[in-house]
Amino acid sequence: MSSLRFVQAKPFVVLGVVVLAWLLLPVVVKSFLRAGFAEFQAPIAVTASYARDLQTYWAERAHSRNELIEAGRDLAHVYAGYEFQAQQTDELRQEVSRLEQLLRLPSNPNYRLEPARVVRRDLSGWWQQLVIRKGSNYGIVPGAPVVFSGGVVGRIREVHATTAVVDLLSSSRVRLAANIEEDTRPVSYQGGDNRSLSPARGLVDFVPPDIVTYSSNPRRLVTSSLGGVFPAGLTIGYITRLETSPDGMFKNGDVALDPRLSELTEVTVLVPLNAE
Amino acid sequence: MHRRWLIPFAAMVLLWSLVAQLNHSLAPHGVYLFAAGLLPVFAALRLSLRHGFTATLLAGLAAEATEPFRLPGTLLLLLAAVHILLYHLRYRFPRDQTIFCVAAALIANLAVFLGVSTVELAGHPAPGAAWLRLFADLAWSQLLVLVVAPWFFALQERALVLARVDLFAESHR
Repeated sequence: MSSLRFVQAKPFVVLGVVVLAWLLLPVVVKSFLRAGFAEFQAPIAVTASYARDLQTYWAERAHSRNELIEAGRDLAHVYAGYEFQAQQTDELRQEVSRLEQLLRLPSNPNYRLEPARVVRRDLSGWWQQLVIRKGSNYGIVPGAPVVFSGGVVGRIREVHATTAVVDLLSSSRVRLAANIEEDTRPVSYQGGDNRSLSPARGLVDFVPPDIVTYSSNPRRLVTSSLGGVFPAGLTIGYITRLETSPDGMFKNGDVALDPRLSELTEVTVLVPLNAE
Repeated sequence: MHRRWLIPFAAMVLLWSLVAQLNHSLAPHGVYLFAAGLLPVFAALRLSLRHGFTATLLAGLAAEATEPFRLPGTLLLLLAAVHILLYHLRYRFPRDQTIFCVAAALIANLAVFLGVSTVELAGHPAPGAAWLRLFADLAWSQLLVLVVAPWFFALQERALVLARVDLFAESHR
């Protein structure tokens, strides 16, 4: 009778042992298991990403020569414009450096640009993350800012051997100091308002009460130099709605994020030079 | 075959990777599919506790390694609990029938989804909007489980038969 009872209870005893073992397991072992299983699965995601690239390559090969010539001509125009801007940027950098020396100011942090392909987009109601195809093999470090042509993408959370995980700006885990364009007072930005079948939105807090915004003319929200890792002035999104907070001292509201955030295929990691 | 947990584990990793690829493609549309609840069902209903539970635990660790759970072990322990519960109840139901297995998968996926949601939404800045999104994702996910489950069970069954595993003996251990 008692052996029959034990047989019936055996699965629950096993479950209890597993739960207890997990709770008592040192954090180092848990971290090792997590890293090990992540590395074990990384080649699957990376292979799928290379297969997608190959698919794109063959799809693009179907373009006619005339289309390629036209695209090349358009690119040459864009390239000429960027070359001029690059010269101006160099001059401005020298000017900034001269002023820093003159005024004995601490210099701004410098970054190395590391472009990376997106291996996997993982955008749920719980978390919003991207996996990119570069990791510690390219000197990427946790906390490094990630950007694209539309502004901020997010920041690196985890770094593996050949991949890295980016917490997207729309994730509720991303909170950063920001500025409203043409206003130096800091506000707080947090992601997390991700609705179904629509682009992600963020939330802005501690907005000074004199700031107003209109849906027809939204105010641009940019990164602040107080934010730590992000260079100042990068676009976060546009404030579409503001309302007075319950305490009446500040305003809070919604931030429309770039809809391209959920369809990114390539991003740039700003690797801090002093971290290398 | 001694390491018979390897076959369901490989099938679970395959399903997890395929769903991840599907989510990659669906991301621009604001849709997310979750099928973790489907992972332990076949192993719990048709394999011995030792081999089935080993496969589920390994799959739980693998799935958890790619996702940023606020509480480490959330998915692993939820999958383990679902596995044990299904294993305990399996003699009371016609577990050889696909329709019963699919129903079990739907209930398991619902339970795991709600479990993960409860843990993950603690401290969320906009919980109301998040729950709306999650219910929509849950509906899509259940639809996916309904479509994929028969294939997933057949895949594991065929693979085990090819590896000359006696499923009848295995399911009565």
